[in-house]
Amino acid sequence: MEEWRFIDFGLVDIRDMMAMDEAILKGDEGNTFFFWTPKKSIILGFFQKAEVELNLPQCKDYTITRRISGGGIAFSDDRCRQINYGVVGTIDNDLFPLDIIESYKHVCGVLIDTLVHYGLNAAFRPINDVTVDNKKISGNAQTRWEGKLLQNGTLLLDFDIEEMLRISNIPREKFLDKKIASVREGLTWLDRELGEQRDMEEVKRVMKDKFEERFRVRLKTGTLSRKEKELTKSLLPKYYSPEWVYR
Amino acid sequence: MEISGTKQGIHKSRGGLIRSFVTLENGKIKDITISGDFFLFPEEAVFKILENLKGTPAKREVLLKNIEATYAKENIQSPGTAPSDFTESIMKALEA
Repeated sequence: MEEWRFIDFGLVDIRDMMAMDEAILKGDEGNTFFFWTPKKSIILGFFQKAEVELNLPQCKDYTITRRISGGGIAFSDDRCRQINYGVVGTIDNDLFPLDIIESYKHVCGVLIDTLVHYGLNAAFRPINDVTVDNKKISGNAQTRWEGKLLQNGTLLLDFDIEEMLRISNIPREKFLDKKIASVREGLTWLDRELGEQRDMEEVKRVMKDKFEERFRVRLKTGTLSRKEKELTKSLLPKYYSPEWVYR
Repeated sequence: MEISGTKQGIHKSRGGLIRSFVTLENGKIKDITISGDFFLFPEEAVFKILENLKGTPAKREVLLKNIEATYAKENIQSPGTAPSDFTESIMKALEA
């Protein structure tokens, strides 16, 4: 069985993580699946302006950066109960389809299989969400580079909605078409759905198993290569710079 | 572009929210910026869309043709979002 690389970065500063994320996409270490958990932070999507999307005076305690993929803000409170994942894969029209929505759907299947394992009614909601009973539990973002794709996403184990609303400027247009009255009704998280806290390491193990099943590969724990580390180092100034974050 | 004091146009496409900020001069777009949670590949092409709109008469059909031309030239893909969605967001900013 084919082996792909697996890395668990643990609890990380999001600026360092986004640099490693880009380095894995642009390195040449082959298909990789990785986890991380962000410290208190906000990641802007490529097309988002900080001053428009965020209530900046409320964000002083947060590390803010921007990622190279589109989509909306990824908000992490200091509960740090979020599993974030990344997949880098060569586009091949089988495991990583060229069609953008099909490729989201295939990778998001890992999250759906994980949630179904816990007895939840999980589904893919195009373009890039995974829902439980029509409430978003996972947001995902993809970019592509030289025949490869990078997909990042999050699985919420716990989430402070009120805090997210405090730090962001979400207009009502955002959720009107989702047939919900407010963001509060449109989001959920694993602890709430299960009525108990699951050990995060256990949920990660389930996700990793589901990934192996879905992609029919064996994940082998590895590390960043020397080249990826060098690339990361060269990318770090960008993710720490106000020119990139507040452009 | 300084956006404080500029009116905002908000339009939701199937692919995400598009917020536009536009300033005009003699009926033409002088400056424009957008913010949103949509997806567009390749990402950098969004700057081409904005650059090409500068100096364009602020009329729906003209804007749409202009954005469609950039889409074709830059091979842009934006799942759930079309040139008409950007046009709609800009028109809302102009009418705000």
